[in-house]
Amino acid sequence: MTQEIESRVSAALRPVAPREGFSQKLLARVMAEQPVRPKPRRLFSEGAKPLAWWLTASLAACLVLAVGVQQHLQQQRLRQSGLEARREVVEALRMTSQKLNLAYEAVKNQSTSLADEKSGV
Amino acid sequence: MRKCTLPIFLALMFLALTAPAPAWAAPNPKLLIPEFSGLAQKATESVSITLDPALLAMAGRFLDGNDPQDAATKEVIKGLRGIYVRSYTFDKDAAYQQADIEAVRSQLSAPGWNRLVETHSRKTGANVDIYIMIDNNQAIGLALIASEPRQFTIVNIIGAIDLDKLHKLEGQFGVPKLDIDLSKAPAQGAQKQRRDQ
Repeated sequence: MTQEIESRVSAALRPVAPREGFSQKLLARVMAEQPVRPKPRRLFSEGAKPLAWWLTASLAACLVLAVGVQQHLQQQRLRQSGLEARREVVEALRMTSQKLNLAYEAVKNQSTSLADEKSGV
Repeated sequence: MRKCTLPIFLALMFLALTAPAPAWAAPNPKLLIPEFSGLAQKATESVSITLDPALLAMAGRFLDGNDPQDAATKEVIKGLRGIYVRSYTFDKDAAYQQADIEAVRSQLSAPGWNRLVETHSRKTGANVDIYIMIDNNQAIGLALIASEPRQFTIVNIIGAIDLDKLHKLEGQFGVPKLDIDLSKAPAQGAQKQRRDQ
């Protein structure tokens, strides 16, 4: 009984050569069943002209804006540094003059006291 | 051996011609002012101004030529290459050491510097020393050391200082006329000294 089952199973599972044209038919079927992919839309294709234009214009506007902002900030920084330098120059000259005044007062006092001594006051 | 001599000689000549002038060749009016960071912490008020040629030029662009004070300031800084100011004010006497100032004063004994004025006030305890460096009958550097019991100030101005222009600031910043005649500037060691009572 067992032998009969075994022989029937092995007979059923024996390698069988495919029929003629099997491969071609299979490939044709696979190709037929493959979903049609939409063609990617090219940026500068005929239909995409407005999109490309807007994109280019936006990029250019962003670039111009970035350069403008950068220049404005640089100008502001330069102006701040300039005003700070100006303030420091004025402060430095004010302090110098203040100390020169101190020396001048001392020299003047000495001259006055010498003159007083000479005149016998 | 002979082949090598000429290129070496030329290279040495090139180096000699392109090398920067040695320190002794031209007097240098720039003082090495210490940072005084310890004093800055102790001081109630401190001023540290460092203006190099680039900053002076930038400041000049922001001075209004139509404003009399700005115009006078512009004239004064025109020939300058640097202004360095350090000033410290303390809330008590003797908060700083004389050695702090001596570090700067010792540099003024170098050749080229002439002490123009030395004042000492017993009343206020204020000392003001003014030094000037002259090259070709032109003031190229000014150093001012003012020490008071609670304050000391060091000023170093570098460049073609036109004292006449500085005089013109009189009334603007209160710069007095010191009647300084550069042609009669004192030689090193023959310094003018003034002491009041």
